[in-house]
Amino acid sequence: MTTASTPVLEGRELVRTYGTVQALQGADFAVEAGTVTALIGDNGAGKSTLVKVLSGVEQPDGGVILLDGEPVVFRSPMDAHRRGIETVFQDLALAPHLDAAANAFLGRELRRFRVFNARREMRRSTMKSFAELGVTTVQDVSAPVMSLSGGQRQAVAVARSAMWAKRVIFLDEPTAALGVVQTRRVLDLIRQIRDRGLGVVLITHTLPDVIDVADRVEVLRFGRRTATFDRDDATVELLVSAITGVYSNIQVAQPTDVTELDVGAGR
Amino acid sequence: MRKTPIRRRAAITAAVGMASIAVFAGAAGASGDTTEPPSTEAAGTEAAGTEAAGTEAAGTEPAGTEAIPELTFPDDLDLDLTFVQGVIGDEFYISMECGVQDAAADIGGITVDVQGPDSFDATLQNPILDSVIASGPDAILVAPNDVEASAGPLQRAQDEGIQVVLVDTVVNDESIGVSRIASDNFGGGVAAADALAELIGEEGEVMVINVKPGISTTDLRQQGFEEQIATYPDIEYIGVEFSQNEPATAAEIVTATLAAHPDLAGIFATNLFSAQGTATGLLQAGKQGEVPIVGFDAGPAQVEQLQAGDVQALVMQKPYDIGYQGVQQAVLAVLGEEVTPEIQTDFVVATADNMEDPEISQYFYKASCDE
Amino acid sequence: MTAPAKSVLTPVDGGRPADTDETAGRRGMLQRLGSVTALYTVAVFAAELLFFSLRASDRFLTTNNLILTAQNVAVLTVVACGATFVLITAGVDLSVGSVAILGEVVAAKTIINAGGDGLFDALLGIAAGIAVGWVVGIINGVGVAYLKVPPLIVTLGTMLAGVSAAQIITDGVNVPNRTLNGLGNDRIGGVPYIVLVGLGVVIVTGILLHFTVFGRHTYAIGSNAEAARRVGINVPGHLVKVYALAGALSGFGGVLSLARFNTTSIGGHQSDPLEAIAAAALGGTSVFGGIGSVAGTVVGVWIPGVLRNGIIILGVQPYWQGIIIGLVLVGTVWFDQYRRRAAAGTTGPTGRKRIAAMRANRPTKSRSQSTHPPTNQ
Repeated sequence: MTTASTPVLEGRELVRTYGTVQALQGADFAVEAGTVTALIGDNGAGKSTLVKVLSGVEQPDGGVILLDGEPVVFRSPMDAHRRGIETVFQDLALAPHLDAAANAFLGRELRRFRVFNARREMRRSTMKSFAELGVTTVQDVSAPVMSLSGGQRQAVAVARSAMWAKRVIFLDEPTAALGVVQTRRVLDLIRQIRDRGLGVVLITHTLPDVIDVADRVEVLRFGRRTATFDRDDATVELLVSAITGVYSNIQVAQPTDVTELDVGAGR
Repeated sequence: MRKTPIRRRAAITAAVGMASIAVFAGAAGASGDTTEPPSTEAAGTEAAGTEAAGTEAAGTEPAGTEAIPELTFPDDLDLDLTFVQGVIGDEFYISMECGVQDAAADIGGITVDVQGPDSFDATLQNPILDSVIASGPDAILVAPNDVEASAGPLQRAQDEGIQVVLVDTVVNDESIGVSRIASDNFGGGVAAADALAELIGEEGEVMVINVKPGISTTDLRQQGFEEQIATYPDIEYIGVEFSQNEPATAAEIVTATLAAHPDLAGIFATNLFSAQGTATGLLQAGKQGEVPIVGFDAGPAQVEQLQAGDVQALVMQKPYDIGYQGVQQAVLAVLGEEVTPEIQTDFVVATADNMEDPEISQYFYKASCDE
Repeated sequence: MTAPAKSVLTPVDGGRPADTDETAGRRGMLQRLGSVTALYTVAVFAAELLFFSLRASDRFLTTNNLILTAQNVAVLTVVACGATFVLITAGVDLSVGSVAILGEVVAAKTIINAGGDGLFDALLGIAAGIAVGWVVGIINGVGVAYLKVPPLIVTLGTMLAGVSAAQIITDGVNVPNRTLNGLGNDRIGGVPYIVLVGLGVVIVTGILLHFTVFGRHTYAIGSNAEAARRVGINVPGHLVKVYALAGALSGFGGVLSLARFNTTSIGGHQSDPLEAIAAAALGGTSVFGGIGSVAGTVVGVWIPGVLRNGIIILGVQPYWQGIIIGLVLVGTVWFDQYRRRAAAGTTGPTGRKRIAAMRANRPTKSRSQSTHPPTNQ
């Protein structure tokens, strides 16, 4: 389903260099509201760098970022948060001893009289949000997060970002450590988030998940976008060949020095 | 971002566990530091202890323990003498230092250096002794912090030809120290027992609040007290507790003991912090003034306690005399003259009644030598 | 690409969920009940009271004895409340004893210099004692949070420097002063003022820790400082405030000590830091951060307090007291920790790996079989 609208978040010609290593060499990226865009690529392709640049963790050395079509600069992750962009990295950034509601509102607590926690309101709001998102496995939002299973914790982290995001959510390998059933649940959650109108960017190595949930796929290779697919066109074989560089459907200038890029460009 | 590998956590847990045990062992009986060395006390009422020391002077002094013997020394002396206190900032040792400085000034030609540890602890004092030995003085006046542990450095000092004079506390090794000058702590305990007995009408239950076991001076005081108090048929001695030199611990001891022995009649507290805590404990329990306390030593805070009625009697030593005589003996030793191996100074008991008398108040310890 | 079927949970073995999610939820309930403020240390305290009541009820269980015990533990209570905050952030403060001494000394000197008596002088002295503690606390916080020196080392440094500073101020000699004696030793309605003050500190710090955003952020930083940073909490700034609070309370503890004993005690307060940490640990505060409570610390202060009181009443020889208290301390903390871990589903090798992984910000495996290998960082 395509809308002829501008992407909610877009990066054009992004460049990011670490010392002598060019992690991004003019990378493009776009995600539209109400869609799930998968960002895939081999190790060292530049996926995590791209996410960091688009979510305010780092500044690009070149290129431009557009938010709803307007150029924008994220000076910090807080800046990006304020504009409605949330990220869930692989470490989940949860405080294990605090409960799900406390984690959901961490740093953005609902207050009474300015200094006190509005605990009941935060709990109710969290339960409501979880229900809306279809997160049914976390029954007790007052239990410390460390007593939850891996899948539940992932759900809490993703749901937290869904509660606050207004535009885009980046999910970095959300199913990497999960079992089959839990993975299904997380993918359902992703669909719920998408259906609320947010743009979801899914970074993953798990191609079956991509086929399952993504509306669009963008392939990164050596710091550049080399292929894009719509949902109906993608198959695992095609995705693999795009990742390995055998297949490309974008006109790109070939990198001048392949070997230099290959070495050391971390995620 | 913290990483807490298992090994480090185990180490931290073990450390906290052991430290906690040490803490509470300390609270009840094992660790802690003393800042005040239970100072030594003068000999009993008889002139038993003191022999006249001066060998240069013609005659011997009468066995009067009250006066410092007058000795004469050559005019052309040039000696270095270091006084290592038991602990710094303690009025007992400050008074002793005053005696040391005055003796040096009177004799002439003596350069005095004063050192000491932050608390009464051999692990702190021994390194100081080592440094002093390295600086090579002619003589050292020292109040050793531990009867065993202090022997090592002092033996080394003697091996290097430094004359060692022990003041106040001693070490077990008899070969250390050409002269030992101290109050007779045992006799002081005896005097404390007599003073307390008199205050309570010679009947009732009494206890001792000591600092911690293993310090020569307070151990002797306790012994002296225990033996003498046993001679009173109507006084019951219920035992000793240790304050670890913390007033808060002494207060706890007193309040708990009063719960078990509501008729407690009197307390002997062997140093300043013990006496302070004891007074507070009695105040808490509303027994201030009812239960006499006999304290030891007379620094400004203790004199104030006596004034205010927190404490009823103070057994005072003569640290000034000890310091003064210490210098005399040290100089004799350096000059190769005959020294007096043991000198015991006596003590004075101050009470609320006699503390105004200058004969008594002259013995109050000084907080600084400029007074 | 075929549209995926909406996921459906179809149990294949008669309805028992193969996943761990449901069971984890149930365990969570149990854990919540069990963690009600160090329930188990309260049990130990109750057992202790029972024991001494049975052995010596007429002497131990009197109002008078209990009030006196309360008086005796009041200063430590104040200091330990501050230590609780620091421990929850996974830090430690060894300087509390020295700061108490500084508080005593500054308060005494201020009172004397201001004239010596009267309410105004007393208040000035109290304020000065608290202020100097607060300043040292800021130094500690800056060292830990901005200079990134481990808390053990920073507070060790201020511990040593603090005593030196006190000695410099007083030329090494203790300063007697009676102006605050009423605060330290008088009673109102039969209750000592100092006990009321201690209670007041407990209430205020309890509210601060358990009901305010400040308290929640304290727990968050101790639980996962990186997570706190990511959501925008100013972690270094917050840590400075926590250490400053602990310092102020230590300074106040010194002021109360001066009030009780009418003199400074420069060579004293030696075991204060470890007693404060032990009290917090007894009350359920973890030295690794993230867990703790003020109510628990209060129980943790009372357990050794009652123990020391009781064994003196029973006439136990002094040399045994240390062993008894040490065993009770370690046993209580072990028991409480064991129950917590069991309830939280974090016992055994799997459980320990979970906590370690969450802290090290690594992805954690769930118990069920994973078909995808975790990515390597």
